[in-house]
Amino acid sequence: MMDWTVIASGVLVISGALLTIVGAYGTLRLPDIYTRLHAASITDTLATFLVLAGLAVPSLVAGEWLIAIKLLFVLIFLWFTSPIASYSIGHAAFFAAQKPKLDHDLTDAEGGTA
Amino acid sequence: MSVGEWEALINVVLLGLLLVVTFGIIRLRNLFGVVMLAGIYSLLMAMVFTLLDAVDVAFTEAAVGAGVSTILSLGTLALIDSRREKIPFRFQFTPMLVALVTGAVLLWGMQDMPAVGTADAPNQVHVAPYYIERTPVEIDVPNIVTAVLASYRGFDTLGEVTVIFTAGIGVMMLLSSMPVIGARRRRRRNGDDQENDT
Amino acid sequence: MIEHLVPRILAKLLIPFILLFGLYVQFHGDFGPGGGFQAGVIFAAGIILYALIYGLDRARRVITPGLVAFLVALGLLIYAGVGVATLLLGAEFLNYGALDSHDPVHGQHLGILIIEFGVGTTVAAVMITIFYQFAGRLQITRELESDETDDEDGEEEEMTGSPQ
Repeated sequence: MMDWTVIASGVLVISGALLTIVGAYGTLRLPDIYTRLHAASITDTLATFLVLAGLAVPSLVAGEWLIAIKLLFVLIFLWFTSPIASYSIGHAAFFAAQKPKLDHDLTDAEGGTA
Repeated sequence: MSVGEWEALINVVLLGLLLVVTFGIIRLRNLFGVVMLAGIYSLLMAMVFTLLDAVDVAFTEAAVGAGVSTILSLGTLALIDSRREKIPFRFQFTPMLVALVTGAVLLWGMQDMPAVGTADAPNQVHVAPYYIERTPVEIDVPNIVTAVLASYRGFDTLGEVTVIFTAGIGVMMLLSSMPVIGARRRRRRNGDDQENDT
Repeated sequence: MIEHLVPRILAKLLIPFILLFGLYVQFHGDFGPGGGFQAGVIFAAGIILYALIYGLDRARRVITPGLVAFLVALGLLIYAGVGVATLLLGAEFLNYGALDSHDPVHGQHLGILIIEFGVGTTVAAVMITIFYQFAGRLQITRELESDETDDEDGEEEEMTGSPQ
């Protein structure tokens, strides 16, 4: 019952989900908005690619390439719009005079969550 | 686990997330965060609607709630001072009692209703087959939701569009800092260059 | 260095597709999820994106507030007008079968198409006009506060705001 398509797509989707959890954990635990932005962008790029690839594999194996093309378009639009979000957040943080937390700041305070 | 059980699990997780987001909206004091959480709430509701196979409603909820509504709320926040509101949180007994009693009465009244999707509920026996059988004959449109919305209940949709129209007119009248109609005539009459252009 | 380079380039790529998708959703409401409300919101979102990236003044030149106010009323007029038209053709109010005397089913198709177009027009115009009113007021407030150079894209910064 468990042929290689189910296993392959399951591995892809689950690794994408694990990367999303890593990104969420990084968004919470990293000290500063600029580093948190790096962590959040994992969710937008690699995790999305893995999940969508995991969804496209069974349809490709079954011969329905139209679904895979639609998923490819979803991926392309997601990859086009996530830089706008990251840029806007970074730009707004910079112009709100949020200074990045550097090493000598962290060793003074407790470090960790801000 | 069968497919139905997986679906129920996803439903439970999504509704649990809705609870968490609602709690966050109530407790958060920063208005910007509240607007973002409201957008997340709309996205979660869109997912719940998709699980209930109501794709049109999910589409509308995602577009309106997570899209335009967030933009307009952010625009409102930009007009007011959106810093942290420092209202102290006082525990009030009577409103909590009223809310709890109303919720308990609603939950108790819900026991009488049939479960979601049972085949002998009144709406599955009388209402749904009527539309499913009559639509291919009378209207011949593949999307039955659009047929019901636009044709069978077209008068209700006319009322909805009137409500949206009234909202637009209301906003135009309240925030009439930007004269829309007659701006060109007014400028020609005044003869000078105003700050608002058409 | 052009200000806001990354959103500008991506918006130039994306706004035509957003508007096209709005039109697709509008006219494919019969065959898949969609219809007037969703299409109006998507179209308005495309125009709002243009106003956010390129500045409110340019957006007001592209889609004038007078035109938008006219469209708010026009959509509702189209919808109610179809109802009155069916009254004049002899049937009840909003009975689209009367629109085509030979084939009532075709009349239903025609009626649904026209009223969804009216719904989409009104919804898009209302969303755009609400955004224009909010952003216009913000612009005027900022002009009154600081009599320096008019900062076009400033509203984008204000709206993204301080995250902490």
